[in-house]
Amino acid sequence: MLITIIAKEFLNNILNLRFMIGLVLCIIVTVACIMILTHDYRQEMKDYNTRMNLQDEILDNYAKADRHRLLGMLRPQKPPERFRPLIIGIPGNEDLGFFDYNPLPILFPPLDFLFIVTIIMSLLAMLFSYDAIAGERQSGTLRLVISNSISRTKVLFGKFIGGSASLLIPFILALLVGILYINLNPNIQWDGSAWVELALLTAASITFITLFYLLGLMVSTFSKYSAISILNCLFLWVMLILVIPNVCPYISAQFCRIPSIKQTERQNREIEIHSLEVARELMKEASKKFKGQYGTLFSEFESMEFGGIGTWLFLGRNASSTHEKAAQQRAEADPKFEAMMDAFSEEFEKAMEELGRIRAANPVEDDLHRKAVLQTKLAKNLACISAFANFVYVARDLTGTGLRSLKYFQQTKDEYDDQFRLYAEEKISDAREKNPAIDEEYYLDVRDRPRFVFKEEALRGKLGAVLPYWGMLILFNVVFFAAAFVGFMRYDVR
Amino acid sequence: MLKSIIRKEILCNLLSYKFSIITILSTILILVSIFVMYGDYCLALENYEILRSKSENPPAVIPPIPLSIFAKGLEENLCRSYEPGFVGSIDISSTQKSVNKLFKLFTTPDLLYVIKVILSLCAMLFAFDIICGEKEIGTLRQSLSCSLKRPILIIGEWVGGFTSFILPFFIAVLLGTIFVTLSPMVDMNAQDWAKLGLFLLSGVIYLAAFFSLGLLISCLTHRSSTSLVISLFVWAILVFLIPNLGNILARQFVQIPTAQQLELKRGQIMNRARFEYERIPKTQPDFEKREKALRLRTIAEGDKLDEDYRNRLNKLVKVSQNITRFSPAPAFTFLATDIMGTGMAEERRLKRAVLQYRKILYTNENRDEKGKPPIFNYQRSSVKEILGQGGLSNCLILILLNILFFTGAHLAFLRYDVR
Repeated sequence: MLITIIAKEFLNNILNLRFMIGLVLCIIVTVACIMILTHDYRQEMKDYNTRMNLQDEILDNYAKADRHRLLGMLRPQKPPERFRPLIIGIPGNEDLGFFDYNPLPILFPPLDFLFIVTIIMSLLAMLFSYDAIAGERQSGTLRLVISNSISRTKVLFGKFIGGSASLLIPFILALLVGILYINLNPNIQWDGSAWVELALLTAASITFITLFYLLGLMVSTFSKYSAISILNCLFLWVMLILVIPNVCPYISAQFCRIPSIKQTERQNREIEIHSLEVARELMKEASKKFKGQYGTLFSEFESMEFGGIGTWLFLGRNASSTHEKAAQQRAEADPKFEAMMDAFSEEFEKAMEELGRIRAANPVEDDLHRKAVLQTKLAKNLACISAFANFVYVARDLTGTGLRSLKYFQQTKDEYDDQFRLYAEEKISDAREKNPAIDEEYYLDVRDRPRFVFKEEALRGKLGAVLPYWGMLILFNVVFFAAAFVGFMRYDVR
Repeated sequence: MLKSIIRKEILCNLLSYKFSIITILSTILILVSIFVMYGDYCLALENYEILRSKSENPPAVIPPIPLSIFAKGLEENLCRSYEPGFVGSIDISSTQKSVNKLFKLFTTPDLLYVIKVILSLCAMLFAFDIICGEKEIGTLRQSLSCSLKRPILIIGEWVGGFTSFILPFFIAVLLGTIFVTLSPMVDMNAQDWAKLGLFLLSGVIYLAAFFSLGLLISCLTHRSSTSLVISLFVWAILVFLIPNLGNILARQFVQIPTAQQLELKRGQIMNRARFEYERIPKTQPDFEKREKALRLRTIAEGDKLDEDYRNRLNKLVKVSQNITRFSPAPAFTFLATDIMGTGMAEERRLKRAVLQYRKILYTNENRDEKGKPPIFNYQRSSVKEILGQGGLSNCLILILLNILFFTGAHLAFLRYDVR
């Protein structure tokens, strides 16, 4: 009997006008969207290659034997996400600080697979189910069905299976056509993990779509008339899709305020200047003491720009290699000079410790970071009331187009920065060993540098992050089905 | 007779469940939106005070406007601070929202969004069964069996239906506006009130277009369920699909590099300039002259790069605007944000002013006796300027769509089989 109900529901739906409209709309929108985004992906790939070449050119031609300047030249580039033909990623912070920017995405968020699932498919799901019970009651067929020896549970279950199956046809068909188009493109090659991610994304989308189908079914079991059911459905849809997720970040910004970024930057700068002044004062006192203790020996050391020990604190620049070399030779020849140099070096270490202590005690940066994390977390958790937000987190984090991917890129970038720092230090010291005369202005050959290659995060890590949100989606499914079940058990079919 | 039809339609709507639910929805949404955006405006004001308090070279920074409570648009970006940097570049402060990346995932829930997305849906829901619904229950046949002309009936249905729909909107907006006006943080002048009035007027025209479209669909269908399904899909296409697809479609016509590529190119120019600078012998008598020439060339190269990018960007925006504006939603978005001074016209104007200010700072013009540079002074566009900058064309598009949809509905109704 269950199969009969499923078949009846399925046939009923696919012969309906809304199925035809949904099918046409889904296929046209999905295919058009994927075609445009694939073209967009090719352009972004081209742009990424140009950026990589520019970066290489800058480092190959203008790298100097100055660690700070060398690191400043480094701009690890993020390639377009492999799921870019389906989902448009979030721009990182680097996109915000430009004078010229494209304002259109702010006014009109771009269209992608997420939009198709969250707006079109959820709306279609509600249109498929709003009259599943109330409509049949109005037409009198529900009474006939129930008068047979069939349990209400089976009727409801049959409606859910049959309705969902008919609803998923346009979605799966459109997605298949889109994926086929992506794979015919020679520039896009997905590996095994990408296919697994795609399968998981499809499964998450199905969970989301069935959730809205069940919501419609639930509303239908609590309504007598389909006209009232559709209004209630649309009310809920508006609240869940268009209102709650959008309001939550603003509410969290009110409850969990963050200090001004500009103010934090200024305070940071002030603390840095203060720490430098303190260190400078300490070194000045030390040099006064040394002058009294060592007399002309220290004056000689001073004329050698302190042999490179804390020179930048006194002179605002590093000591020239000639002076450094001269001080070293002098120390090797005279043990008294060496002892003075060691003692001065100790004083410098103390000043640096003090500088580090002041900077480490700086609360403003940590405060901003801590509050920003708290605000984001609050907004994220608040938005979880809506299935929309849960699905967005799952889909974006699975495909590497969300907040997690930005964080992961930053982490990879930091690791690469450390690797490059070590390389630069080694390279500079090697160059100085070979030629002691070289200074910071010397052009360094860094063509053998380690290259930044961004690799997608492993699926295991992504899955761990999305499972709680996916669990929420499943929970919503269960709750709506249970509510629909309760509603239908008490439903007056007359 | 027209009066009776209008009265009947209003009464019918007022007593319907549809009216109750839409009134509740629109009132909640409008009030929540205004409260939330008011809080956001207060935060923006606090941030502005911090941004402008800088001792040395004053940054170019403008205060947030109270009208951003109703239509946020590009306000977040407009209110950043612009500081002329090294060799022609402009340093921009990060926005407060840049640290909470969740803002990037969701849309701003301002009144503009409520009208553009939610109330347009409500307008369609109000109108989808005006004709076909009456046909289904048989009252249309009865009405037309009297000496009642079809044009009068459809005009009466439109006026009555739209009046009952727009009433809760006005009440909710009025409540929200009273709250905003009474709050001590908001100071609105006559110009702002005029802009708010124009914004609401454009909102009414926009909603009327959707109402007429719903009526047209109702006149083209014979069953209200069919009409509803078609109405919802047309709404989704006009409100979401065309504006969002148009935006990415425009990028296919105008090739534009990313901002990151532009930054790298700037870096390349700077590094090359530094390289050449080191090659100039410092002891030569023409050192200063050659150094100055190099500096000017570097600035010119950077400016050329920026200008090329800016031209492409403007072209992209123009193409995108032209593709999308024939849907009522983008036309209304452009019109509303421009009216409120948070739109693309204002953004372009501000950029021009900042570039001008940078020029003043670099050329040391207009300095006072102590050599201090002038403070950045910027006035947002007046109503007259907004209408001249293309606002009128967007308004005309909305009116044209209204006429088109209503004429279509009228023609369809004249041929409508009421049996």
